[in-house]
This record gives sequence, C-alpha cells and structure tokens, in this order.
Amino acid sequence: MSSVRLSDLHRTTSFRLALLFVALFGAASLMLFGFLYWRTAGYLSAETDDWLAREQAALARTAPGELAARLDDHGISDPGLQRPFAWFDASGNRIAGELTTLPSPFPPMDRPFEFMLKQGERNVSFRGLAHRLPAGGIILVSQNVHEMNEFSERLVGAMAWGGLLVLLMALGGAALTGIGALRRIDGVTRAIERIVGGDLAERLPTRGPGGDLDRLVHVVNSMLDDLERLMHEVKGVCDGIAHDLRTPLTRLLAGLERARRRAMSADDYATAVDEAIAEMQGILSTFSALLRISEVEDGARRGGFTVLDLAKVAADVTEFYDPLAEGKDIALSLESTGPVEISGDPSLLFEAISNLVDNAIKFTASGGRVAVRTFCGNEGLGVIVADTGPGIPAEERDAVLRRFHRAEKSRHTPGTGLGLSLVAAISRLHGFRLEIEDAGPGCRVTLWRDGGPGEPAPSARQHLADVERKVVHPEKLAAAEIVSLKP
Amino acid sequence: MARVLIVEDDAQTAAEIAAALGELGFDVECAYTGREGLLKAAADKYEAIVLDRMLPGDLDGLAVLSTLRAVGVDAPVLILSALSAVDERVRGLRAGGDDYLTKPFEFIELTARLEVLVRRRKAPQRETMLRVGDLEVDLVTREVRRAGRVMELLPREYRLLEYLMRHPGQVVTRTMLFEEVWEYRYDERTNVIDVHIGKLRRKLEEGGMPSMIQTLRGSGYVLRAAE
Repeated sequence: MSSVRLSDLHRTTSFRLALLFVALFGAASLMLFGFLYWRTAGYLSAETDDWLAREQAALARTAPGELAARLDDHGISDPGLQRPFAWFDASGNRIAGELTTLPSPFPPMDRPFEFMLKQGERNVSFRGLAHRLPAGGIILVSQNVHEMNEFSERLVGAMAWGGLLVLLMALGGAALTGIGALRRIDGVTRAIERIVGGDLAERLPTRGPGGDLDRLVHVVNSMLDDLERLMHEVKGVCDGIAHDLRTPLTRLLAGLERARRRAMSADDYATAVDEAIAEMQGILSTFSALLRISEVEDGARRGGFTVLDLAKVAADVTEFYDPLAEGKDIALSLESTGPVEISGDPSLLFEAISNLVDNAIKFTASGGRVAVRTFCGNEGLGVIVADTGPGIPAEERDAVLRRFHRAEKSRHTPGTGLGLSLVAAISRLHGFRLEIEDAGPGCRVTLWRDGGPGEPAPSARQHLADVERKVVHPEKLAAAEIVSLKP
Repeated sequence: MARVLIVEDDAQTAAEIAAALGELGFDVECAYTGREGLLKAAADKYEAIVLDRMLPGDLDGLAVLSTLRAVGVDAPVLILSALSAVDERVRGLRAGGDDYLTKPFEFIELTARLEVLVRRRKAPQRETMLRVGDLEVDLVTREVRRAGRVMELLPREYRLLEYLMRHPGQVVTRTMLFEEVWEYRYDERTNVIDVHIGKLRRKLEEGGMPSMIQTLRGSGYVLRAAE
C-alpha cells in the first residue's frame, strides 16, 4: 500500500518546493527575456526610423524638378530593392521611384509604418515613412526590415525553446527529487508499519550520518532502541509474573479444591484456610514487591528524600538482623569509617541493605561470617555487604539483578526472586552503582558512588535544597504528629 | 461500646470490615458514598472513621476528610487506599488522616490499628510508670522490673517492650512494631521481628515466670498480665 505512486508525486513536499522554484525562476527568466527583446527590437527599429527620417527630409528638400532624377539615381544604386523610394501623386499614382503603388491601406503621414511587398514568390516586410510634399504628391522612403524581423523572431524562438527546455529539466528534477523523497518516506513508512505490526527489532532506514532527515531518523532509531529494551524488560517481567504468580495461584486453587473434596472436619477446613491465606500472602507480597520496583524505578520516591546518615541506616539494619544471625550462629559485624551523609530515602535504603543482609544470612552456613561496612572517603562512599557463603558465579551476576531470577540452587529457599532487582532499583534511584564480586570465599555486594562526604550527587542537591526549605519531611512530620498524640 | 463509621463504596468490602470490627465489639455503621459518609459523620459522634480514599462521585475520600476536619469533626480517621505510593500516604495524612492502610490489607492490621486509634484518645496524657500485671517499666530511669526483679534489656528490646506496654491487651502487628520501634516504613515481610519478640519473651520469662506476650495467628502480638 505504500510503494511509490506517481499520482502521489504532486503531494510530496520536495516536488512542490521544486515546482515553486520553477515558477519563480520561470517568472524571472520571462522578465529578463522580455527586457532583452524589448531593448534589442527597439534599438533595431530606432536605427531604421532615424535613417528613414533623414532620407525623407533630404528628399523633401529636393526641388520638385530634380526629384524624379534623384529617385531614378537611387533606384540604380539599389538594384536589390532593399531601400525602395517612390513619389506618388495625390491620388496615389506613381510619378517616379521603384515602388509601383502606394501600400494599402493608405499609409499614415510622417509616422513610420510597416507594410508587405511581394518580391517574387514571397512577401517581404518593409518599414516606410510617407510625407506629403507642399507642392502636392507623396514621397515614400522605405527599408527592407525582413532580416531585422527575422532576427527578432529567431530571438523569441530561441528564448521560447530555451525556456521550454529549462522548464522540462526543472520539472524532471522536481519529479526526481520528489520521487527520491517519496521513496525515502515510503521506506520509513514501511519500517514503521513493520514496527507497529510488532517487529520491534526493525529500524528506520538511514543513508549515512549527514542530512536533516538522517538526523531525525537517528533520533527515532535510538528512541526505538530504548523502547525495544523496555519492551523486553516488560515482557520479561510479564513472563516472570506469569510464572511466579501462576505457581502459587495453582497451589492455592488445588488446595481449596482438595479441601472441598476431602475435608471431613472443621479442623481440616481450618488448615486449608490457613494454607490458602499463607499462599495468598505470598502472592500479595510478590505483587507489592513488583509495584514497589516500578514505583522506585519511576523515581517518584525522590519526593521522600531527606538528609540521612548511611552509616546509621546500616547500623540499624545490622542491629535488626543481629538476633537472626545469632540464631543461625553467624557472626554479623558492622564496620564504619564514620558518618556517611547523603540525600536519600531512609526506608528504601534500609530495605535495600536489609535485603542484602537477609540474602547473606540466608545463603551463609552456620559458623560463617557476614560483614556490613560503610565507607566514605576520596574513593567514594557507600556500603558493602560481604559473606562467606557460596557466592554468585560470575556468569550469573547480571542475571541475579533481573526480576524474578533465582539461582538454580536457591529455588527451594523462600523469596520472591525480586529482592536484588529491588536493591538495584533503589541504588539507581540514589545514584549508586551495584557491584557483585567474589569475596573468595563468599559474595561481596557493594553499593557505592563517587563523591566525598557532604558532596551529594547533582540530582540529590536539588532535593537537599527542597528538604532544607521544608525543614522537616512531611512523612516524618505526619509521623511526629501521631507520636505526639500518644499518651 | 465504641462506634465506628465505615465509608466504603464496595458493599462487600464494607460488610467484611463491619463483620471484622463487629467481632471486636465495635458498633459499626456503613456509608457507601462520600456524601452519605459526610452526613453521617457530621450528624453523629463516632470514635473512629474508616474512610476509603477513592469514592465514586464528586466527593472522594480526601474531600470528605478535609470537609470533616473543616467542620470540626475530630474523630480519628483511618484511610484505606489502593494507592500505595508514598506521596499518596503523605497527602492522606496531611488532609487530616491519622493512619493509612493500603489495600489489600490483612484484617488484623486494620483492626489493630483502629483499636490503637480509638484507645489513644482515652489514654491519660502523662505517665512516668507503665504497669501491666507484675511487669513495670519506669519511663524516667528506663528500668524494667518483673515481680520486683530488675531485668537487663537492650535498647531496642526496651523500646519494643515500651510500645507493647503502652497498648496492653491490644493486638499489635509486626508492621506497627516495625514502624514505631525501628521507625522505617515498608512492608516488612521477613520473620525478623518474631525473632526480636522471641528474645524479649525469653528475657521476660527468665526464672520460670509465666508468659506475657502472646503471638496471634496472622502477624500480631498481645501483651497481657500473666494469670
């Protein structure tokens, strides 16, 4: 439906532009040609008219008695009848000279005029000037202007042909550029149609780095790259949701159906209901974890940024997990080089660090160690969570950050598989880089960014200003109000 | 008996909330539109209002709330919302809400929070000593005694106990403890708080004392005087 159609040609912008130029150029050329013709033709006839006036005046001064002889002399010197002179009486009959009759219709007096004279087979143009003599009779001087007219005609012809040629070439050029543009647009249209049809790997055709259309196409293509990446992510997430929600939903349905088939007592039903509630809570936590990730990735949480001490958050997390580590006989240690002031959301950072610590404790065997360390210096600031567990193989380190990914060996441990991707989203929100390394043995996860103490990332600086203006963050304010109402 | 108004457009949700609160001994009234809720709340005195954030029609939850506060109704309001974003919560609390719960929620969370809201208004203003049965907490010296015997608690354990002591006989959920004692806010789904409570419980029961902290199915705890 979108191949080049010549009927569409006149609608293309470049064709119309070319036509406009043709029209402008044509008008300019026409004016130039007209001017040239007018000046040339005017010059030629002015020369003739001058000569005619001089000759006629000379004849008029000649005495009537000598006039016939003079005309005869002139006739001898003009055998080719190029400049015929003649003398007629008042009724138009020839008295002397080369012309036999007065040109008809009766010529005007003392004003140049043109007339035709039959010479052999052809009519020849002459320009003449008639004068009535005071003594009676009319003298007529004339000149053959056939060649002069011929020249003018050829000039006009040459101009017309030249103009036609230019017009044709211009039309051809306009059509060519129009077709070229139409082809490109058609190529782009076809590519877009394929993309709309679902082929997200398709890109708009380019012809190299230059050109205005190419610049536009490059921008659109890089936008398509982003879209494709996002669509892949969304698709991955959808597949993940389909798997991680369908599995517990299947268990939920199966459990409820089993209860309906087999439950004999109220206790059986109570057990089935408890199981169903537990499954439901698992599903809800997966669901809300997904919503949280998109909320965090959306950047909306920046509104909750405040100035905080990362070392304090890390200390809170360590303290929070201490009993759990103790119960599993894991040494959970905290190291700090001093306060790490950044702008951020304390709850999100707590969630991120506690996710890391939770994982570390989960995957470290009894008797192992988990170390949380915050640092702040010239090399940057951040937090490290290291453990002596099995570690993450190098080839899986990128994959663990993706939503729903779980290392094969951890399939049996509880969890949504969203923890690390949430950590990744939170660290991106705070301008941190997330690095997973081999701690030999064990795994070391580092959240860090450049910048010394009190040097928040540029994006955070604005939020710092906001926070300072508000003095207290509204959420904290609301919490403070609640607390103050208490007994 | 405490009277509670539920403003919720979904009749079944309203009925479920009413049933859950009824079991706890609340006298429940339902309204299904913002206008109806506004009229009822302004006409009668309620101990607490459960308000859906998104109501159909021209009066949504926040508009109802601001109007109520403007006309001087000061009953505590717990906002229910399907919007989980933090700024939504902040907007709800700014409009005059006292607490904010995101749908879907566990009923124990709703009832526990509502009970705290209702009782908070009745509690005496200033105390220096909390007493539940044979357990005493001196808020000035931070000394904890059970049956006269001084107990050594870590700072966090002290704060946990203090919060439980301030709400004796009331259900307190993990989320509430996490928010109040650790002062971070997110949907904490691990069982770490259970471990903390377990440690506190063991200290309280040292020397063969009877148990005071009861764990409820779901995710709540109740501190009661030992019998």
